[in-house]
Amino acid sequence: MRPFDPQVLRTLPEARRPLATLGAVGVAQGIATVATAFALSAVVVAAVRGVPLGAPAAYLLGLFVVRGLLALTGERVAASAGAAVSAGARSRLLRHWAAAPAERRPDPATALVLADQGATSIEPYVARFLPALVTACVVPPLAVVVLAVVDWRSALVVVLTLPLLPVFAALIGATTRDATQQRWKALASLSGHFLDVVRGLPTLAAYGRAERQTAVIGEVSQRHRRTTMATLRLAFLSSAALELLATICVAIVAVIVGLRLSHGGLELGTALVAILLAPEAYWPVRRVGAEFHSAADGAAALAEVTARLGDGAQERQDHGVLVHTVPKAARVEVHGLGYTHPGATHPVLDDLDLAAGVGLTVVTGPSGVGKSTLLALVAGLRTPSRGTVTAPATHLVTQRPFLTTESIRSNLTLGGDSSTPGESLWAALREVGLEGPVAALPAGLDTPLGDDGRGLSAGQRARLVLARATLSRATVVLLDEPTAHLDEATAALTHEVIATLAERRCVIVVTHRPELVALADQHVHLQPVGVTA
Amino acid sequence: MSSPRVGRRVASPRVVLAGVIGAGALGSGVALTATSGWLIVRASERPVILTLLTAIVAVRTFGMARPVLRYRERLRSHDAALDDLARARTDVYAALVPLTPARLPRRGRAASLRGVVDDVTDRVEAQVRVTVPVLAVTLTGAGALVLCTLVEPAAGIVVAGLLATVAAVTMVAWRVEARSQVELGTAREELTRVTELVASQVDELQAIGATAAALARVDEAHAAVAASTRRQAVGRALAAAALPLATALATVACAVVARRGGHSDPVTALLVLAPFALAEVFGSLPDVARSWARAQASATRLDFLLDAEPAVVDHPQPLSGRLRPRRPGGTPHLELRGVSATWDGTRTHLPTTDLDLPAGTVQAVVGPSGCGKSTLLAVLARQLDPSDGRFLVDGVDVRDLPAATVRDLVAVVDDEPHVFATTLRENLRLARPGADDRAVGQALDDAGLGEWFASLPNGLDTVLGSGGQGVSGGERARLSIARALLSGRPVVLLDEPVAHLDHPTAVAVLRDLVRSRGGRTVVVVSHRPEGLTDADGIMDLTSPEVGLVGQVG
Repeated sequence: MRPFDPQVLRTLPEARRPLATLGAVGVAQGIATVATAFALSAVVVAAVRGVPLGAPAAYLLGLFVVRGLLALTGERVAASAGAAVSAGARSRLLRHWAAAPAERRPDPATALVLADQGATSIEPYVARFLPALVTACVVPPLAVVVLAVVDWRSALVVVLTLPLLPVFAALIGATTRDATQQRWKALASLSGHFLDVVRGLPTLAAYGRAERQTAVIGEVSQRHRRTTMATLRLAFLSSAALELLATICVAIVAVIVGLRLSHGGLELGTALVAILLAPEAYWPVRRVGAEFHSAADGAAALAEVTARLGDGAQERQDHGVLVHTVPKAARVEVHGLGYTHPGATHPVLDDLDLAAGVGLTVVTGPSGVGKSTLLALVAGLRTPSRGTVTAPATHLVTQRPFLTTESIRSNLTLGGDSSTPGESLWAALREVGLEGPVAALPAGLDTPLGDDGRGLSAGQRARLVLARATLSRATVVLLDEPTAHLDEATAALTHEVIATLAERRCVIVVTHRPELVALADQHVHLQPVGVTA
Repeated sequence: MSSPRVGRRVASPRVVLAGVIGAGALGSGVALTATSGWLIVRASERPVILTLLTAIVAVRTFGMARPVLRYRERLRSHDAALDDLARARTDVYAALVPLTPARLPRRGRAASLRGVVDDVTDRVEAQVRVTVPVLAVTLTGAGALVLCTLVEPAAGIVVAGLLATVAAVTMVAWRVEARSQVELGTAREELTRVTELVASQVDELQAIGATAAALARVDEAHAAVAASTRRQAVGRALAAAALPLATALATVACAVVARRGGHSDPVTALLVLAPFALAEVFGSLPDVARSWARAQASATRLDFLLDAEPAVVDHPQPLSGRLRPRRPGGTPHLELRGVSATWDGTRTHLPTTDLDLPAGTVQAVVGPSGCGKSTLLAVLARQLDPSDGRFLVDGVDVRDLPAATVRDLVAVVDDEPHVFATTLRENLRLARPGADDRAVGQALDDAGLGEWFASLPNGLDTVLGSGGQGVSGGERARLSIARALLSGRPVVLLDEPVAHLDHPTAVAVLRDLVRSRGGRTVVVVSHRPEGLTDADGIMDLTSPEVGLVGQVG
């Protein structure tokens, strides 16, 4: 994996400025670090030689004020860059998916992991690792160059020994890679155990198995400890070995400087600068290695986000079928429409023609005949495999009422106008017979719903999403089994609402209810593909 | 019951030892810089090389000691923390058991249990991330202070001032971090919620043309997180700015006092370099402040959860003369007589209710949320004791029986069934450990999972849960029912078993259950009566006369 992929700057333009600032502050900090060696040795020399302290002291203080300000800026820039890049990645990813039809999206679980934990792990990568990377790129070369100017012999020692670090690190990495990878796998399953057991605690408790798990948790956690320690021992050992190597390299510089000093071949000031600068050439390299450990997740997530944002554009034309969107017209036209589910061999819909205008069109047919797929195609959620769909922006009410964990008010206005006045919302609720139940709730329209609309009965949920459909501005409304799980009385009321809706708009309903079919202006009965009517 | 203060112990002896070793490592670093300065200056005086040998050996020792000691410290502190984590996990889990499920948050239970796991880790990790570095830095600082004071008392005062400043700055950083911790946590929760909405419900959002609205909410959540992150960064930024300034001032002050003290050149160099050498030691403190703030927030949440009292007062031994319900092994007769119940004593969650459940009854309980359906089930499962009235099992008041006696009669299928990350076989057998494969297969069939089971390439050895075979909402509900059937418990209680299912699946699941129930008593709580037309009785908790059991033809 590359520590930093410049591709990111192309796919996430909003990352450019924060990353550039991050880099600029990093370079400035590097220069200040190198300058510190001079200031500090000037103060020491002044103190030792008994010359006035004023100038070097002022130099040192001024430099540290600058370093303080840079550190202040650096921390703030790093924090907001982390937040900005992570937010940019998440937001672009979600926008990318939101605009894509179902066939070109990952499954929801994968999508959620990448957009949630994945994008969040980018934060420490940007805020912690990238600054370390900048330092590692700036400080060692700068230190070596400055050292070459001040005392080329010390610089030579550094140049000769510095490559040992990455070589040594690679050697350690190569010999331990297999063992480490094996352990990480074991670790992932061991560390997931406690979460799994705790989340399943209600189930375990219900069957009286909870107490027994206490011992298991202790045992698995101890195994987790042993495996982790085996992994960590290796990691700590290699980092200790690198540190020792760096210390030895600095010691070589110091010994040579010391010998030359004692023979009078070197100024005290120069010697001090040399031994203060030499470590600066080594430690940033070690630190970047250490930080990468914790930032690897973020780097991987960023790479995946970049890859996912990069593809898709060229796939767009695969099917060669365009969904024409004519704004405003309350009319749907379908010609020679065919659809095959991704991975399936047989089409679910084939050569279907349909034209619907203002009024109620009812679609019936046996289970699995592709009724819901037809609605999804008209709504533009899926891309036809063959044929064309001509439709404006639609409002599709799916079989399972879609409600968020927000208030009833935001659920009603979701996808519509969030500033819809309360009277309109109440009117819509009255139409579907929900005015009373909602008014009886403690906070009325502002009552929050639970997951999946918990807090309302199934019938209430179905009617709430229907109320939302009547509030939407879409001229074409698609309803998938709107009254399947309502009792007779409520279903009759709902059918009236649908009929009223169809007076002004093009309404296409998938249903099994004969009462609703009786109200229809047009009735389409779908046959399974291959069966001729 | 007293709850364990998880990970409250700030420092075990092992952690103290790790801190001391850590101080050795940090001290070696300081000594390395300081003695190197001494050595260079002494060398510039062109002494006989031999006189430098002691110092050279010292420098070499410090140089070698630092990585070695740091390695030892990291090994010890991590090992101690992982051991403590193992203990803390066991303790927290054991403390959670009696609180399950009645005292767990009733909304977002899965999320809050996930939070417990993270909180335990944060709290215990504080040992490695806070206690060890604080101890190491304090000891090193104290050592440097003593040595400097011995050499030059005035320099000692300067170092003391430096240490005091560093401590104050760290405290300020911690305060800022702690204050923004809660705010940032809330902002992140909201971000996760809206991200989940968009990432996993794109279809639904596209269907109603709400993608733009949902994405706008993501943007708002991002802005809130960014604002909190910036506020939180102020703490670290202040520390990062103040530490170098304090170091520079101390360096200059040391230079002044060292010269006044009239020391030899090498000693002067040593004193001047001391604050700079110490600065490296302080570098970890901003991180310490952040971890500390986080661990405190976690500990507060954990204590709040674990301080709850269990909902059932248990008698390990039966108090009444009759030791067991009448028909051991058979289906018991359950009876609620004028039972009302409350979760927290603030209000009545279940109004006075009568319910008679002769063996083998199928009883539906319907009504809107908040009418007491789940509370009723909790009483029947003896997760909660009635606040008034009597709950009789075969004529014996449950309060005279050990909690386990009643609980062992009852299999609960709750509304958030969990699938464990293990094989299908083990997922079911937790309900009856000794069950053979035939019994497991039968339970799967009875729960309507026969076809699904047949489609699994690895059969009962298929690994489910995270990292394994995906399980849909319907399959999850059916797995939970299969567990209940396999358990052989004579009473099955279902809490909104089909809340997450579409209508046809919901009807099928309940119909299959009623069909394969055998002699069991089944109580189903639901918003909707669908699929319950086979029930012997439907109790509507919304009706004013609760307890009137309507017979359904």
